[in-house]
Amino acid sequence: MSFSGLGTSLVQLAIIFILVLLVSKYALRPLLATMNERTKHIEGQISTAEKNRADAEKLVAEQKELLIATRAEAKEIIDRAKAQKEVEADKIMDRAKSQADQMLADAKKEIELEKMKALASLREEVGALSVQLAEKLVGETLDQKKQANLVNAYLDQVGRLQ
Amino acid sequence: MELTPQVTVAGLKFDLTIILGTIIAAAIVFGLIYFATRKVSMVPRGLQVGIEMLIDMIRGITGMTYNSKRAEKYLAFSFTLFLFILVANQLGVILMITGEVHEPIPWLGITQEALDEHHGTAHVALLKSPTADLGFAFTMAISVALFANFVGIKNGLGSWLKPFINPLHWVEEISKPATHAMRLWANIFAGEVLITILMTKFPLYITFVPVAVWIAFSLFVGIIQAYIFTVLTNVYIGQKYAGGH
Repeated sequence: MSFSGLGTSLVQLAIIFILVLLVSKYALRPLLATMNERTKHIEGQISTAEKNRADAEKLVAEQKELLIATRAEAKEIIDRAKAQKEVEADKIMDRAKSQADQMLADAKKEIELEKMKALASLREEVGALSVQLAEKLVGETLDQKKQANLVNAYLDQVGRLQ
Repeated sequence: MELTPQVTVAGLKFDLTIILGTIIAAAIVFGLIYFATRKVSMVPRGLQVGIEMLIDMIRGITGMTYNSKRAEKYLAFSFTLFLFILVANQLGVILMITGEVHEPIPWLGITQEALDEHHGTAHVALLKSPTADLGFAFTMAISVALFANFVGIKNGLGSWLKPFINPLHWVEEISKPATHAMRLWANIFAGEVLITILMTKFPLYITFVPVAVWIAFSLFVGIIQAYIFTVLTNVYIGQKYAGGH
């Protein structure tokens, strides 16, 4: 083909130059702005999502730690309660035992006292009876007091032998 | 081949077919892009998706030849260049209009001598791919080469001059625009020539299938050549930024 001429070339370049300007100004610039905005938006979304995930992970870790701590605390409380319970039980047992001992001792003492009383009254009775018996047998009145001493001495002897 | 209507104004020759083709291609490109970007939304829909994919593709081209700041600067140019050449390539395949002229029309450059050369009846191309014209392709390629060298000089005269010590660099500087232009022109021109021959020299019922296949292939070649032209344009300019090589 023959060369179509310098004029054609100039017109052609001018048309292309104008086209580049028009496309750039009216079409590409708004489109590229939107594309950039979208890129930024998506980047923002991704970074936010990442941040949120990191936060959530941190929170979960915190919760886990808290749970472990709580569990340990609960265990400690239960342990302490158990120990307290044992101590308390021991205390109660001890108290009961000592009370029982006390009661036993008191009872024994009382028994002893009663026994002594009984013995004393018996002794008196026996003494009197003996005197009466002797009076009847001897027919004379013995000196009550003397007789009583005699009987007592005798009974002491018996008690010792027993 | 076909003649084209030409006028000469103030000593400059204007090829009306080429200029019309260029204007139509430019109008289609601008119309398409303008229409596609009227309702630009954050969530892309419809044509916006296609245009954005195209932008990403062109970003791939500029991204591999320049640093990221320059890549954005050349994005609009590369994007428009690619679409323009793409549309220009397909124009002749889809919309080739040829008229027959029997009388000379001197003011359109269709002279009696030209008619005589074509045995009295000249086929005059009224609309065809501008890129099928060698002059058009060379205009583009030489402009790119000039701009690339301008960039090289601006970037540092020393580093631009240095490679010229090697005589092979001279050869390269000439062969680059030459091959750049001829690769585009030859591919598109050959496509149109074969379509013209198939459609005019044989009855259509014989050539219907080959024509359909060849048109499909020409469309494909038109896309590939637009891509290659855009890539090479960026590579040639990018090389000058790198300070020769």
